[in-house]
Amino acid sequence: MDNRNTALVVEELHKYFGSEEVLKGISLEASEGDVIAMVGASGSGKSTFLRCINLLEIPTSGKIFVRGELIRMKQDRYGVTVPEDLKQVERIRTRLGMVFQQFNLWSHMTVLENVIEAPVHVLKMDKIEAIERAEELLHKVGIHDRMNYHPAHLSGGQQQRVAIARALAMEPDMLLFDEPTSALDPELVGEVLRVIRQLAEEGRTMIVVTHEMDFARDVSSRVVFLHEGSIEEDGPPGEVFNNPSSERFRQFVSKYVEQ
Amino acid sequence: MFDLHGYFPMILEGMTLTIEVALLSLLIAVILGLFGAIAKLSKSRIARSIATVYTTLIRGIPDLVLMTIIYYGGQIQVNNIGDALGWDYIDISPFVAGTLTIGFIFGAYMTETFRGGILAVSHGEIEAALAFGMPSWKVFLRITLPLMVRHALPGFGNNWMVLAKTTALVSVIGLHDMMYNAGVAGGATRQPFTFFLVVALMFLSITGISDLGLRWANRRYSVGVRKV
Repeated sequence: MDNRNTALVVEELHKYFGSEEVLKGISLEASEGDVIAMVGASGSGKSTFLRCINLLEIPTSGKIFVRGELIRMKQDRYGVTVPEDLKQVERIRTRLGMVFQQFNLWSHMTVLENVIEAPVHVLKMDKIEAIERAEELLHKVGIHDRMNYHPAHLSGGQQQRVAIARALAMEPDMLLFDEPTSALDPELVGEVLRVIRQLAEEGRTMIVVTHEMDFARDVSSRVVFLHEGSIEEDGPPGEVFNNPSSERFRQFVSKYVEQ
Repeated sequence: MFDLHGYFPMILEGMTLTIEVALLSLLIAVILGLFGAIAKLSKSRIARSIATVYTTLIRGIPDLVLMTIIYYGGQIQVNNIGDALGWDYIDISPFVAGTLTIGFIFGAYMTETFRGGILAVSHGEIEAALAFGMPSWKVFLRITLPLMVRHALPGFGNNWMVLAKTTALVSVIGLHDMMYNAGVAGGATRQPFTFFLVVALMFLSITGISDLGLRWANRRYSVGVRKV
């Protein structure tokens, strides 16, 4: 398999929490420009899978290639899987922009400081340049006027848009969204989804863990359905929504349609 | 108001010394406290054990007992080591012994204060920094530490107040601090009440000014926290 031009390749990923197997051998390939919507019930392992990609969770076994580069793992002396080279992990993390369910903005910094923090202190970007770019990005997500506010003084939707700008500021190869709208009041979901949709239209590679079925259907180029730690359905939205091969996915979708 | 019989300059000198001892031991306490807190929260069992022994021992022994042990006992140990290595006689000054002891004692209290502060920092904010490829030492300096300060400030303020007052103990090992000088002056003039009252007021002014400083710091570090 040629992994070199593929944005992400995951092979046979397993993850245990104690004796419970949360991911049961997941394999996934994402090409440049793919927008993958990961859907599934709570506890299906979709967030854990996403967090394994940038090693916020350490997979128990399996291989992850980011742009063809294998994240090297080893066993420590207790037999636990750990990254072999933390520097490699840090370098790969700079290429993967993450957006969290709870936003996780740094509360002691202003909006602008949040956006320039990682470019300046991780990528060693020139501060003035970083500020210029941050202002552009904040414009793009429509929150330019709140640049000098602290996160606590913003609504959830505004905070999440700042978090997206913060991720974009690293100019990542791929964006990882971990249920970006699940912590939002219903009336704020739209403004965040609009921004994500715009990014998808720009051709960015992204994986979006979401409960928003309309979003998955309309925006993604591929839908992956997880059930109890395994992939049950994987294909273009038109195909899987109209003609699902898995009975569970049919039931799952019908539940959302009823709501 | 008070007739100090010309002893006021001596009391002021003592106060300068008191403040020096207090600030230097605060510095030691903060450094020890940070290392202690990191050790207590670290994955290494050895680091955790050392820190636990430290805080348990220190917090369980009266300050005065510790200070005398370190001053007299420390001198004997230094003499023994010095003899074995063929050094000249090294005199531990009361200033060094007092400052080290107070710093050492309050390092244990600071350890607990900082540990609580670090635990109160939201894990998500730390995780976000890691997710952008920030090395963990930098995450500690740029994210955890500034966020921890807000949670640790009230406890820190308490520790500082008690520490400042504890410096009065160094007079016991013969350091000419404010307390010691007041004793001398009070004895010579047979007016101990007057002089110790002056000392009391001076301590009150030190802690009072500190209180103002702490309130300022509290405001400064609560920026970005919505008032409830």
